Amino acid sequence: MQVPIMPAKGEKFIIPIGPQHPALKEPGHFEFSVDGEVVTGASLRLGYVHRGIEKGTEGRNWVQTLYLLERICGICSHVHATAYCLGVERLAGVEAPPRAQAIRSLVAELERIHSHMLWLGVAAHEAGFDMLFMHSWRDREIVMNLLEGLTGNRVNYSANVLGGVKCDIDARQTDAILAGLEHLEDRTRHYLNVVTSDVMFLRRTRGIGVMTKDVAEKLGVVGPTARASGVARDVRLNAPYAAYDRYPVELITATAGDLEARFIVRVQELFETYRVIRAILADLPEGGLTVRMPRRIKEGETISRVEAPRGELFYFIKSNGSDTAERVKVRTPTLPNMASVLTLAVGHQLADMPMILAGIDPCFSCNDRMIVVRDPAGRGAHWTWDDLREYGIEYYR
Amino acid sequence: MTIEAATPLLTTWATDTAQPEPGRLDAVVPRENLLAAVQALVDARWGYLAAITGLDQGVEAGMFEVLYHFCSEAAVVTLRVPVPRDDARVPSVYAIIPSVSFYERELMEMFGIEVEGTPNSDRLFLPDDWPAGVYPLRKDFEMKDAGADHAS
Repeated sequence: MQVPIMPAKGEKFIIPIGPQHPALKEPGHFEFSVDGEVVTGASLRLGYVHRGIEKGTEGRNWVQTLYLLERICGICSHVHATAYCLGVERLAGVEAPPRAQAIRSLVAELERIHSHMLWLGVAAHEAGFDMLFMHSWRDREIVMNLLEGLTGNRVNYSANVLGGVKCDIDARQTDAILAGLEHLEDRTRHYLNVVTSDVMFLRRTRGIGVMTKDVAEKLGVVGPTARASGVARDVRLNAPYAAYDRYPVELITATAGDLEARFIVRVQELFETYRVIRAILADLPEGGLTVRMPRRIKEGETISRVEAPRGELFYFIKSNGSDTAERVKVRTPTLPNMASVLTLAVGHQLADMPMILAGIDPCFSCNDRMIVVRDPAGRGAHWTWDDLREYGIEYYR
Repeated sequence: MTIEAATPLLTTWATDTAQPEPGRLDAVVPRENLLAAVQALVDARWGYLAAITGLDQGVEAGMFEVLYHFCSEAAVVTLRVPVPRDDARVPSVYAIIPSVSFYERELMEMFGIEVEGTPNSDRLFLPDDWPAGVYPLRKDFEMKDAGADHAS
């Protein structure tokens, strides 16, 4: 097995795709060498939304870092915060109360619903199926509203704090979630039917981008991308964290390894997510939401792994005994999965590239972790931390 | 696969091993043994390379550490490769694990650790006009080193 790292030498045509919106509304730059319509080599350049977040953690205390890390990704913000909190709590020798752990899992599963539905819409759009895109994004608003009702925010919910969670759940919210799930489950059945029966859609997915189990294992792909190739890999099962040992998740896999299988796995995971959310709501442990956390964290290193909607999210956290992390390393699921895009690209039609890319549900912000802000106040293209802070204070005054 | 299965694979190549947490094995592997150790894990199909972490222990310590994290279900094996700051290089594991290119490119641009033999050493995350020889995740990095376009 070869993973291409460059456009093939000697080809006359190299087709650049990106950096503007190669598939999703996020930046990445691919170069594909082609022989006619067939791709023969590929390379990738990332970093268009690189913000230096890992470095940023070195100048912040443990609490500030939590809010910074949550902003790595606007889609799966909660899972970043969860990975970080669990890791820091382990270093401190503190364990969040069971009710807090259950709420962490609950928010994580709600997040998975919104992420998968967002992906379904985007992937459908790539296939030219805009009706499905609009429907899935309309239905996604249900879960966005539930998340807002629960945490106060549609994105970057900040449900986690070090040592627990900040939001509790009452009977009214429980009822709202259960009612929302009922509607979503009904809609999800419809989506499963569409992605497995619509003839035009299947021509874009069935047998396209096939990754065998062997290749998936060798590439070290993670998440639904791996599971659609029959690899039994899900951190929630392999190494349960938060409350997943109390509310076990069933593994959803497929064997075909093509784009259709990736659609099926993600849509079927939604059903499993609904089931887990109901299980959590039916049996939510009583008790407090937080425990006290020390301001300084004991010296040590830990590895914290969680299952983000896109697959395994890997955190390495090192403390030097102070109130600031020595090192926080983040490996997001899109990075290993990107290797599969380059590998699968070779031999496929150029026109299949956006679908193959969308098939892994790439998240570039996660990958890139510099933001250049268009400036309304004439402060130059770059805003300093102080500028941003001042702007924020003025804005909310 | 388990930590117990990984331990015998690494005994020849590691100079020291430790179990910092349940389900984790840290093995200190000298640079010259890295490829052999990785090959041993891959031949035994022990998990997959989940991430490469660079660590800067500071100018005074004069050392980097490159951590190769392999995961298999709940178990994590970390190969810890000490690298002197004044001779910052590690061999590429690309020939053994072809999907490693992105991790190695990130390690190179962020820490200035040369990954010898890696087929693509282009920047992955940093901007094209980022100054040469400036590595942001080193502890002695200062924002002004990045130049006026990036430091503000």
